[in-house]
Amino acid sequence: MEYSLHFVLALLGAAGCAGFFGALLGVGGGVFIVPVMVLIFKLPIKVAVAASIVSVIATSNAGGSSYVDQRITNLKLAMFLEIATTIGALTGALLAIYLQQWIMLIIFAVMLAYMSYAAYATRNVDDRKIASGEFGNAKQDRLSRYLALQGSYHDVAANRDVEYVINGAPIGATISYLAGMASGLLGVGGGVLKVSAMNGYMNVPMKVAVGTSKLMIGVTAAVSSILFFLAGLIHFSVVAPVALGTTIGATIGTMVMNRLHSSKLKWIFTLLMAYLAYGMLAKGLALRFGIHLPSLGA
Amino acid sequence: MTELTQTKPGATAEENVYRGVYRVLLAGMFISSALFAVGLGLALVRPEHYPLGADWVRSHYHFASIWQGLRTFDPFTLMLVATALLILTPVLRVIVSIWAFAVDHDWKYVVVTSIVFVVIVLSVVLSHFGLK
Repeated sequence: MEYSLHFVLALLGAAGCAGFFGALLGVGGGVFIVPVMVLIFKLPIKVAVAASIVSVIATSNAGGSSYVDQRITNLKLAMFLEIATTIGALTGALLAIYLQQWIMLIIFAVMLAYMSYAAYATRNVDDRKIASGEFGNAKQDRLSRYLALQGSYHDVAANRDVEYVINGAPIGATISYLAGMASGLLGVGGGVLKVSAMNGYMNVPMKVAVGTSKLMIGVTAAVSSILFFLAGLIHFSVVAPVALGTTIGATIGTMVMNRLHSSKLKWIFTLLMAYLAYGMLAKGLALRFGIHLPSLGA
Repeated sequence: MTELTQTKPGATAEENVYRGVYRVLLAGMFISSALFAVGLGLALVRPEHYPLGADWVRSHYHFASIWQGLRTFDPFTLMLVATALLILTPVLRVIVSIWAFAVDHDWKYVVVTSIVFVVIVLSVVLSHFGLK
C-alpha cells in the first residue's frame, strides 16, 4: 500500500463524515466507515474491520465523554449491559479472524438492512413518549429493580427533564450480546443494535440510549481490538487517519445531537443504512458468485 | 462549581464514577490523537511503502523495536503506540469505575464492573495462547 497525501486526506475526510453521522445517530461510525473503506478505497474487509474497530474506540471516547459530562449517559445501565457486549465481542472477533470475506460482506449487508428498517419503524415513537411522560410510567422488571436501573436527563429539544424507568433487562442483555458479536465480527461498535434494543425493548429514551451506547461501544471495541492487535490484523497507518477523522467528526456531531428531534435523526439513518446495505450485498455477491448488481455510485 | 454540578439532572449518588470516567476518556482521546497526528505528519514527510501482512505488523511487537522507533520518531511506531493507548483507554475507564463504585460502597456495581474487567483479561489470555 502506497502511503500518499491523497490517500491520507481522502480517508481523513471520509472518516470525519462517518464520525459526524455516527455521533448524531449513536453508532460508532464503523457502520459507515467499513463500507466506505471496502467500496471506495478498495481495502480488504478484514483490514477495514480491524481499522474501524479501533476508530470506534476513538469515537466512543470523544462522544462518550461528552454525554457523560452532560449526564445523559446512564452509567449503571452501561456497566450492566457491557457484561453481555464484551462477551459478544470476544465471540465475534474470533469469528472474524477465521471467516471468509464474502460471508462477512453478506452478514454486514443483512445487518444494515435490518437497522434501516428498525429505525424507520420506530421513527416517531420517542417524541410522542416524551410529550406524554410515558417513559416515567413503565413497570420495572425484577432485575432492573435489583440493579436500580432508572434515571433522568434534560432534553434540550423538548426543553424538559425526562424521567424514565427501565424494564426488559433480560432481553436487553441478550440483544447486547448479539450487538457485541456484531461489533467484533464487523468492526461496527454495534451501537445500532444497542440503541434499538434499549429504545425499543427497555423503555430508554433515544438520547439516553445513544449516550449510554456510546460509552459501552468503547470497552466492547477494546475487547475485539485486543484480539485483532495481537493477531497482527490492525494496520496502524490505516488506523491513524481513520481514528483522527472520526474523533474530529464525532466531537462536532455530539455538539449538534441534543438539539435535533429524534424523528429527523431516524430518517437520515434509514436512508443511509439502506444505501450501504445494497453496496455491501453487491460486493459480496460479486466476490463469491460473480453476480454484478448495478452500482449506485458506490 | 458545586452549584453547577447540582443543577445537572441525574447527578447524585454516582458523581465520583461520572467524573472519573469523564477524565479518563478525555485524556485517552487527547494523548492518542496527538500521537496519531504526529505519526501521520511524519509519515507524509517521509513516505514509505507499508505492507498489509499480519506477520510484518507483528514483527514490530518487541519492546526493543518500539523503544528504538520512539527514539528515532519512526512514524509507524508512533501510530502503533497511539493505537495501543487508544485500546487501553476504555480498559482504564473500567478500572477507574470499579474503584469509584468501591469508594461509594456500591458493592453490587463493583461486582458488575469487575465481571467486565475479567472478560477483557480473558481476551488477552485467549489471543496470547490461541492465535498463532
